[in-house]
Amino acid sequence: MQTLKLLSAFFKMNVQMSLAYRADTVVNILLNLMWLGWELLSLNIIFSNTETLGGWGLGELIALLGVFRLVNTLMIALIWPNTEKFNQSIRDGSMDYTILQPVNSMFLVTFSRITVWRFWDLILAVVLIVVGVNMSTATTTPLQILTFILLAITGMIIIYSLWIVLIALTFWFVKFDNNVTILQALLDAGRYPATVYPVWLRIIVTFIIPIAVATTIPLQALRGELEMTQILTFILVSIVSFFLASRIWRAGLKQYSGASS
Amino acid sequence: MSPTIHVQQLSKTYKVPEREGGFSAAVRGFFKRKYKEVKAVQRVDFKIEQGEIVGFLGPNGAGKTTTLKMLSGLLHPSNGNASVLGFTPWELKPDYLRSMTLVMGQRNRLSWDIPAADSFLLHQAIYRIPDNEYKQTYKELDELLELEPLMKKPVRNLSLGERMKCEIAAGLLHRPKVLFLDEPTIGLDITGQARIREFLREYNKRTGATILLTSHYMADVTALCERIIIIHHGQLKYDGGISDLSKKIAPFKLIGVMLAESNSHDLSKYGELVQNEEDWEKQYIQVKAEDVTRVTSRLLADLPIHDITIADPPIEDVIEQAFNS
Repeated sequence: MQTLKLLSAFFKMNVQMSLAYRADTVVNILLNLMWLGWELLSLNIIFSNTETLGGWGLGELIALLGVFRLVNTLMIALIWPNTEKFNQSIRDGSMDYTILQPVNSMFLVTFSRITVWRFWDLILAVVLIVVGVNMSTATTTPLQILTFILLAITGMIIIYSLWIVLIALTFWFVKFDNNVTILQALLDAGRYPATVYPVWLRIIVTFIIPIAVATTIPLQALRGELEMTQILTFILVSIVSFFLASRIWRAGLKQYSGASS
Repeated sequence: MSPTIHVQQLSKTYKVPEREGGFSAAVRGFFKRKYKEVKAVQRVDFKIEQGEIVGFLGPNGAGKTTTLKMLSGLLHPSNGNASVLGFTPWELKPDYLRSMTLVMGQRNRLSWDIPAADSFLLHQAIYRIPDNEYKQTYKELDELLELEPLMKKPVRNLSLGERMKCEIAAGLLHRPKVLFLDEPTIGLDITGQARIREFLREYNKRTGATILLTSHYMADVTALCERIIIIHHGQLKYDGGISDLSKKIAPFKLIGVMLAESNSHDLSKYGELVQNEEDWEKQYIQVKAEDVTRVTSRLLADLPIHDITIADPPIEDVIEQAFNS
């Protein structure tokens, strides 16, 4: 409840900040409308020319794209702006005020900035997922859809955890502005189904780089390709990674408080 | 009753990367970093009772900010202990964070692009302040600081003094019982400083809050604090009444002399020459307070004086001198 209240306070504040500069606001709205048009156009091109890719049907591909876009929105609307603010706050010392607030600092650092213009990206992603899942309902059971949703959430948690680890490294290095660039590079590898990659690359993409976990794995669940043990493993992995990430975050905070002056 | 702030043998040692200037040193430093240990705070002890306003003084780099950061919970000490309101600060317990505040004159808490009122509301959410309590506190702060006219402008459009008022108010919305203020009046003009000072005194009177503040301005300290704590090179040098300290250091005055002709006269026979980087036109000598009249009249008699001033030495120099001698 408290968390929701805070999130809505953050959201309101970000809307206020976005509206602070009038010309900037107008440009942003126009830019995002153009962006959206471009995205829809490219989707159209892809699907008017392709029926299957790596043995996946159209509906599944649309759903995959939706999940990918969901992750991408997470990147653009949350991860990029918060990382930028975080990197800056480490160097200018405003991190001090963040630490002294009676709210989990990890939560504060990761949710206080929201790129509100990306809201419709979120809607687009959800629409794609719903449409995709609907198109493939002929072959899917409600249980598969449920695990799909569950694993999409687990995937997000894993990405979130990876992000936390990457930004927590800044506590040690002080200047580590490439932290999100690394994440983005990893994420881009997850754009296509992991099955289109050669086996060795697939192993890296699925296990070494957990981004594919967020995009391909849920889709495999949707196709009913996953065993119960695999599903449970992924859930366990997300719990463990979140736990580890918060430990690393705490260690980072301790490092910060040991080193800054 | 146990003291509000209790500091025992508090110490902090930093490892700071160090290298020579120059290109090759920078390359070498990339591969092999050298570190130097800096003892920022060494075995400091003091107690502060509820409702006290204590001035925390010392030259730049003396360890004031480090101590304040440890007391607010930002830094883990290397050694020693501190308790504030019964909490160990660096455990960062939410209950502790809700009952104290740290205001740093050189850092911004408020968002630049939106009016302070909006940042205040976020603060209310973060500190879970009930609406009626928030309104009451805001009313009181507004009464003391005249915030209302500042609330509607984006923070970036406020003057430094106005912004500082808002920063301080933001730090007090949750009614903290302990206030750590690091240079709250830095950069403000005389009136601005006086207003903040007056506010702090009144706030302390009304709420019984305990205040520990650092400042470069002696006026802040003399106006607000009955007690001062001085640290130098990380060590506690003085803890006691301000009047006792002035007895100890009052003997000195600074005489600034601007000669009508060249500066070729040697002033060192009148008193100890001191540097003053802010004023190149004058030469400064330091003399004992009881000698001021004698030395001044001798100066006036001996030299072609264009301008002469007599002043208290700046607080930093006084402290430096009192404890280096």
